[in-house]
Amino acid sequence: MPSWSRKALLSFLLPVAGVAAALLLVEYLKRAGFLPVTIPAPSQVWEALLANPRGIGLALAETTANAVRGYAVATVVALGAAFVGALVAALRPAIYNLGVGLSSIPLIAATPLLALWLGNGPLTRSLIAGLASYFPILVGAMQGFRAYETNHMELFHVYSASRWRVFCSLILPSSLPYLFAGLKLAAPLAVLGSLTAELTGADNGIGVLMLSALFSFDTKQVWLTVLISCALSGAGYAIWALIERVVIYWDSPTELKT
Amino acid sequence: MSKDLKVQAASKWFESRGSQVIALDRANLSLPEGGFGALIGPSGCGKSTLLRMIADITPPSSGTILLGNELPSAARRAHAIGFVFQSATLLPWRTVRANISLPLTIVGRGSKRVASRTPDELIELVNLKGFEDSLPAHLSGGMQQRVSIARALVLEPDILLLDEPFGALDEITRQRMNLELLRIWAESGTTALLVTHSIGEAVFMADTVFVMSPRPGRVSLTVDVPLPRPRTLEMMASQAFFDTVNRVRDGLFGAESPQMNDHLASVY
Repeated sequence: MPSWSRKALLSFLLPVAGVAAALLLVEYLKRAGFLPVTIPAPSQVWEALLANPRGIGLALAETTANAVRGYAVATVVALGAAFVGALVAALRPAIYNLGVGLSSIPLIAATPLLALWLGNGPLTRSLIAGLASYFPILVGAMQGFRAYETNHMELFHVYSASRWRVFCSLILPSSLPYLFAGLKLAAPLAVLGSLTAELTGADNGIGVLMLSALFSFDTKQVWLTVLISCALSGAGYAIWALIERVVIYWDSPTELKT
Repeated sequence: MSKDLKVQAASKWFESRGSQVIALDRANLSLPEGGFGALIGPSGCGKSTLLRMIADITPPSSGTILLGNELPSAARRAHAIGFVFQSATLLPWRTVRANISLPLTIVGRGSKRVASRTPDELIELVNLKGFEDSLPAHLSGGMQQRVSIARALVLEPDILLLDEPFGALDEITRQRMNLELLRIWAESGTTALLVTHSIGEAVFMADTVFVMSPRPGRVSLTVDVPLPRPRTLEMMASQAFFDTVNRVRDGLFGAESPQMNDHLASVY
């Protein structure tokens, strides 16, 4: 077996085996009576999922939809702002400072305000998801659009390339590692924003289930919703990590080595 | 479409902490169309600055540079300048063929600048057949630099500027690359100007060697090379080659150390 595929297999199998072992251990400890009532056995959490798959599925769809809508808007706005900053250097500090200012608003405080203005519906919750996630995309794009090498820019200059050509053939490809870093970081934040918005009063969503489980002291349901949130965040990150692998096929000096 | 090069009293100075640093002081040189010139001098003599001014990467502070009857800025906008950087400066996401085609992408394939040779023919010219679809990271330093030379020739430049293109290569590869470069230059008929640190390389390659000296940088001596074309490695053992190397070296070091000169003569 070639060494790279063995490495890939190991990097996949090891975590899976680790998680499985941990689950078995917790299951055993619970059944042997070593664990407090606040920690359910994995099998009990699984049963909680099987008890109401349709309800949980609908809640997951709601939370995901809000996160994805917000994330999409955040991506468009942040990339657009960074693009304008790349074209007009004088606007760069203003865009960055506005970004910092917006991102320092506590989401939990912004939610009631937005609910007041826009109604307590999907629009508000999507916007909160967007607010929660745009900043890493903005920072990644603003850094990335300036990450080209001076040498390369001089080459395009000697060939008297148009600004559009410079952007497409140099600035954009050079920025990809930074763009993906921002997009990867932002995906879990969008899930967080979507959940946070639901906590202040929604009628459907994982956050709603989480809250009601908490108030009825339904330990299994709390754990189930927490685990589903983690899985959703992780999936958001993983999707972009996969896309990055396909898109950045060259050895990039700025890529994080693992 | 080759053009002659005239540099008349070109100067470049920078402001640094309130004081003026003169990088280049009233440099003069001229090169006929189709000629091969070499700029040689120690670090800090302004040879790279001069080359970058000719390429319109940086403007002269005073003086005139003309390519044919055009200013460098006009020549650059007309895509008339080919430039080979010290490092290969290849785009890491483009294959060898796509890197060589980059100038075509920039000026458009319909431009009258497009050379009669296709990227694939240029790949053959620089001996990289079989590597068309490789990424730069998978090539050696010498191969990367050959890609960048092919890229400089995919448009028909009126002038080809080379900034120590083989400086990072070992002596053997470098010698081979120099021969290749001379062959390519002879075939393309473009005017060429090469910046180098090596006396032997300057004399071997050029019709005219411009010796530069530092603080402030200036062209202090112009030496014509009496060797015939095409150049061969055997010429490096000829009396004419030695005499020219000596004249260039005298220009670089003055008569400051005869023993040193003898030592250097044994090196070249």
